[in-house]
Amino acid sequence: MRLLVVEDNAELSQQLRNALSESGFAVDVAADGEEGLHLGRTEPYDAVVLDLGLPRLDGLSVLRRWRAADRAMPVILLTARDSWSEKVEGLNAGADDYLAKPFIMAELIARLNALIRRANGIAKSELEFGEVRLDTAARAVTRQGASVRLTALEYGMLAYLALNAGRPVSKTELTEHLYAQDFDRDSNTLEVIAGRLRRKLGDGLIETVRGQGYRMSPPR
Amino acid sequence: MNETPAPTIRVRGSLTRRLALLAALWVALGLGVTGWFVVRLAEEQIETAADGRMTSLLDAVVAAAALDPTRGPILARAVSEPEFDRPLSGHYWQMSAAGGLVATSRSLWDQRLPAPRPDAEPRNEDIIGPRDEPLRLLERHVQLEARFGAPPFQTVTIQVAVTRRDTDAEIGRLQKGLVLAFLGLGAGLVAVVALLVVWSLSPLRRVQEELVEVRAGTRQHVDLTVPSEVAPLVQEIEALIGQNRATVERARTHVGNLAHALKTPIAVLRNALEREEIPAARAQAATLERLVQHHLRRARAGALAGAAGEEAMPMAAAQSLATALRRLFSGRGISINVAGRDAARTRADPQDLTEMLGNLMENACKWAKSKVECRVVPAAGGMIRIEVEDDGPGLAEGQDAAALARGVRLDEAAPGSGLGLAIVADLAGLYGGTLSLNRGQRLGGMLAVLELPGRV
Repeated sequence: MRLLVVEDNAELSQQLRNALSESGFAVDVAADGEEGLHLGRTEPYDAVVLDLGLPRLDGLSVLRRWRAADRAMPVILLTARDSWSEKVEGLNAGADDYLAKPFIMAELIARLNALIRRANGIAKSELEFGEVRLDTAARAVTRQGASVRLTALEYGMLAYLALNAGRPVSKTELTEHLYAQDFDRDSNTLEVIAGRLRRKLGDGLIETVRGQGYRMSPPR
Repeated sequence: MNETPAPTIRVRGSLTRRLALLAALWVALGLGVTGWFVVRLAEEQIETAADGRMTSLLDAVVAAAALDPTRGPILARAVSEPEFDRPLSGHYWQMSAAGGLVATSRSLWDQRLPAPRPDAEPRNEDIIGPRDEPLRLLERHVQLEARFGAPPFQTVTIQVAVTRRDTDAEIGRLQKGLVLAFLGLGAGLVAVVALLVVWSLSPLRRVQEELVEVRAGTRQHVDLTVPSEVAPLVQEIEALIGQNRATVERARTHVGNLAHALKTPIAVLRNALEREEIPAARAQAATLERLVQHHLRRARAGALAGAAGEEAMPMAAAQSLATALRRLFSGRGISINVAGRDAARTRADPQDLTEMLGNLMENACKWAKSKVECRVVPAAGGMIRIEVEDDGPGLAEGQDAAALARGVRLDEAAPGSGLGLAIVADLAGLYGGTLSLNRGQRLGGMLAVLELPGRV
């Protein structure tokens, strides 16, 4: 899952990048409103963490411009002020959730997971694919009830395919959603990851659709 | 805390310049028109006097003219005006009869005045005479008789011409004098107006100087004797200074309270960190966060408590909150219904009303199974009653007091700081209102009733 973090405080921005990367997200960071606006307009993000007080262009304006340009990715707002007037303004400008500083990283990650799930039209946090269970809230995977350890990239690929289950996902699309912008992308790596997932979770889970990419059957 | 950016002061024009300009315009127009009339009048006066002198000269020439029964018209005796004898002196006379020229003054020399027109009206006009000199010409047709009252009669035309040099010079001197006088008067008037403006505005400058001192801290009040027009302004400034001081005082008290409140948890947190008791440290951090949030809100409400006269519209606030909450809780499919009197107004700061309603409605959404209702109705005693009801589990007997106590959460399962309802009760109290929690009769969950002073 690829995220955009728009935050001008360098320290918080770094903390967010670290914590979110550790949780398996590919993270792009923008330090001001204009850079954030540009990235959000041009790159396919699964969700955005947007600070309200930004230099050059404030968060609400960035959000309004994205929505005006039909960018529909879920957006969670961060702000130092926790008043309902501000929440209402943010939510009615097109935000999907709202978190006041200081916040606990775990809460942000849980809310991001819930937003991404909701944006893909999935209500439950646990998805079951045969003997494999995927808990998107806890970011945990079990096979036949036993916990399976996955790397961040492995989990990212599994979760993206699971949230888009039923349709083939091209390697380009996967690459765009698994890697941050400054990452050296190599689509051959995807085959390696898919191979490792098949080895850990069973051959039948992820099928290769010739010329179209990878596909998972819808959960039951 | 964000500081409100100082509004840029838009300056347009200067009062002094505006008034001086207006005065100058009016003075120029008034003096110009008056001056023109005065000059015209004086000119007429001079011309009339000159014409009078010429008429006397003409009378003298007419008196000297006679009709000789044999020689025809003659000048019977000399006209006693020396200028008529000096050649080209600028004073001339000429007598003509039907047959032609009869006699001229010696001053005319070989020149002649324009030939008379016996049939036309006698002339009184400006002409160009000898040596291209501007002359005034006066003419009269006279019937001469040889003997008193008996024929033969003969009509002659007698003309007198006098140079315009002296008249024109006199008019020129007069014009010059008047123009100079009026210019001086105008300049004086404008200067007086400008001085008047500067002097009238001087109290404002004194107020400004004192304000600079108040800002610098060398002075406590604006203490001046000022004209009645400036007094209200000074009063308002004084009131503003007072309000400012009170706000600072409140803030100082507040910071003191906050520091005291924070000291204990910080001490506990330190001890916990020294003994590396992470859960205890986390709990203290949470306590600190709650305290900070609570004090921030109290500070805001406290700062606003002095502000009077603000009104907020609960229906509009509830509707915009409902839109936001529908988005926030879109995953749970909760229906939020807002109904009541659109025209209802409460005496509260709009942000505070949104804060109160937001906490109540969010709380309802958290606990609701599928429905939340918000109703705005008038209540007895000039109050507006806002009810927020959900179809969740509701409160058990005796839980309402606990729910309103600061920092207490009745169930740790739903996220929140545990301050929400306590804040609503605090804010409502500041505005002279109340919050009560009951079991809802319509949906069966919790019913929060917020009553605030207001009107429909």
